[in-house]
Amino acid sequence: MSRAVRKADLTRAYVLHHRPYRDTSRILEIFSREHGRLTLFARGARGPKSRSASLLQPFQRLLVSWRGHGDAATLTAVERGAAGEAAGSPGLPAATVMFGFYLNELLLRLTTRDDPHPDLFDAYEATLGRLAAGEAPDAALRTFERRLLEELGYGVELRVEADTGRSIDPQGRYVYRAGQGVARAVADAPGVVAGRSLLLLAEDRLQGAPELEDARRVLRAALDYCLEGRELATRAVARAVAGKERG
Amino acid sequence: MKHSPALAGLIDALRTLPGVGPKSAQRMAFHLLQEGRSGAGALAQSLAAALAAVRRCDRCRMLTESPLCAICESPRRDAALLCVVESPADVVAIESSGSYRGRYFVLMGHLSPLDGIGPEQIGIREFEALLAQEGLREVILATNPTVEGEATAHFLSEVARRHGIAATRIAHGVPIGGELEYVDGGTLAHALAGRQSIG
Repeated sequence: MSRAVRKADLTRAYVLHHRPYRDTSRILEIFSREHGRLTLFARGARGPKSRSASLLQPFQRLLVSWRGHGDAATLTAVERGAAGEAAGSPGLPAATVMFGFYLNELLLRLTTRDDPHPDLFDAYEATLGRLAAGEAPDAALRTFERRLLEELGYGVELRVEADTGRSIDPQGRYVYRAGQGVARAVADAPGVVAGRSLLLLAEDRLQGAPELEDARRVLRAALDYCLEGRELATRAVARAVAGKERG
Repeated sequence: MKHSPALAGLIDALRTLPGVGPKSAQRMAFHLLQEGRSGAGALAQSLAAALAAVRRCDRCRMLTESPLCAICESPRRDAALLCVVESPADVVAIESSGSYRGRYFVLMGHLSPLDGIGPEQIGIREFEALLAQEGLREVILATNPTVEGEATAHFLSEVARRHGIAATRIAHGVPIGGELEYVDGGTLAHALAGRQSIG
């Protein structure tokens, strides 16, 4: 890591994760639009005198400034993000927070530090907006996963067959193999998805339950390939929470 | 300079205390071994005694020396109310307000999906066992007003509802003696959303 001076002034960012540091401080993992993901020390961000504690929460649209050298810079200012439909609202409603943590973990695990992805930032913000607006989470999450894979260079070609280059037939049956792409399915092999689902996913027009399930399977396989076998903590916790809520 | 093994061990051990770095740990160690020797003996004894005796209450997970803590054992506490908090320090804070007469449940943390902290780690089994007991009418969710605290409160409210128990959330708002001008936007938004009619 270079020892270059790092600084930014009121740049758009979200807190992805935070942990306590010493008695009154926090270490933040933030995702900024112009500078990508980075670690910030937020001195005095905990405790009775903190003015920034209520702002430095995940899913809050923020403007942050920092200064520093090397790996971790120090937070110097934070303000609520620019006025918009989310302004003044306390972030995600509690019922959808679990999905938000999942997005955050994907960003933490799959993006590299100091690698700006403005389009991915916009996609993240749009997804939080859809979740906050009470949209069904599945379609919003699938759109984000597809955009994330594209941004990372692992995009799934959803419109043509990988081996033959033929266009995907909406009536056809296909299989997706991570790292290779989409191929026509032989008979009723396991993991078969409908061509129609692939095309709808490519166009962000997923709606019906079978298409959403097909899209989930394809993207899950592609993400697992990128994660190289590492388990997502948020997935396990979300499963346990859903199990207890249903009883 | 290199410390003797016992001294180095003591300095290392003192660093487990919150907010104590190498410098402060060294200052404490020197103090304990010089002018504070009698106090150091008492500290060592009370630490060993507390470690051996203090455990978690079987019912509410508060720190105690008997199977049930004083609050759970008291016949004067209202068994119909259960207040859920994140830490023993929160119990002390609510007790010192003198405004609550029910019982507690201490989660010892909050849901933190990114750290793999799920329902099991916050004592969901013990919590459900309390929900199943007779006489409980209301669960008061007093987790911190952070994203994780809200997620935890939402989750526990769903579990309580499944057990047919009413769940309430403590109000968030402007501190007494505070000035609106200095209150952050998020708190103000909560305060406005939770407004009550007067008179």
